[in-house]
Amino acid sequence: MLALRKLIQTMLIKCGNLYSYYKDEKLINIYLQQNDECAYEELVNRYLDRIFSLVYRIVKDVNVSEDVVQEIFLTLSEKLHTFKGNSSFSTWIYRVSTNAALMKLRTEKKHKYDYTLVDEKEYDENYYANMTYQATDSKYRPDLINYKKESFDLLEKSINNLSENYRVVIHLKDIEGMSIREISEILDISIQAVKSRIHRARLELKSILENQLFEWSK
Amino acid sequence: MEICCQSIVENIMDYIDNELDDKTLNALEEHIHICPECKSFVDTYNKMLRMSGDLKNKKFVTPEIRERLKNLIKQKLKPN
Repeated sequence: MLALRKLIQTMLIKCGNLYSYYKDEKLINIYLQQNDECAYEELVNRYLDRIFSLVYRIVKDVNVSEDVVQEIFLTLSEKLHTFKGNSSFSTWIYRVSTNAALMKLRTEKKHKYDYTLVDEKEYDENYYANMTYQATDSKYRPDLINYKKESFDLLEKSINNLSENYRVVIHLKDIEGMSIREISEILDISIQAVKSRIHRARLELKSILENQLFEWSK
Repeated sequence: MEICCQSIVENIMDYIDNELDDKTLNALEEHIHICPECKSFVDTYNKMLRMSGDLKNKKFVTPEIRERLKNLIKQKLKPN
């Protein structure tokens, strides 16, 4: 009976089913203590989409994002022992990733004498054309789906035109839905500073979108 | 309590997050009720937040990106 239970457990682990129920911290312990790559893979699966979106929001280029995200997860596989559990793993990996992406952006800026102009051109229309949005309220209305798609494209473009500090807080607060406290821990700034930055970022985004927002609100 | 249009802008975050005291909240809502510009400001602000929230559904990671990363990690973690 014990052997059967062990066999089932091994099979579940191999399929990734069992690990998907484990908390981040438990996966980290398994990875560090048993050098179990499945545990690390589960962590990567869990965070890849979210970290990629965050990095993309900062560097604004899919290829550069892929490089940065690869670097983050490869480095993390070596440095996971430096996670001390003072914050949640989620906060920690967001902090590490934000810093890595900002660092990449600043390095790129140093190599481009007029970054602002290049920055504007990095928006890739074709990449967005293949994106899908799960717009729930326009599911069965192709005309509304197109309208929604255009609206989201414009919103994306407008967010991309904000400064990196504003893009980060808009991403964490309004897109990811994080709390002010979590953002304060990720960015290592005070709660008041986070609130103030979000306030200014939203007002700037709103002013970029002003006429369009009026149409959308009708 | 005197509320002007500028107060709406200054308090919009706390208003949306429901963090205003009752007195300020009532004064703010009274003003929004009688001021079409501020009503429009709050409506469009809310619309922007709802749309931003919907961007969470957007996926950047293609199966190819996922596969490339998975292979790199496998190579890196492979025992020597």
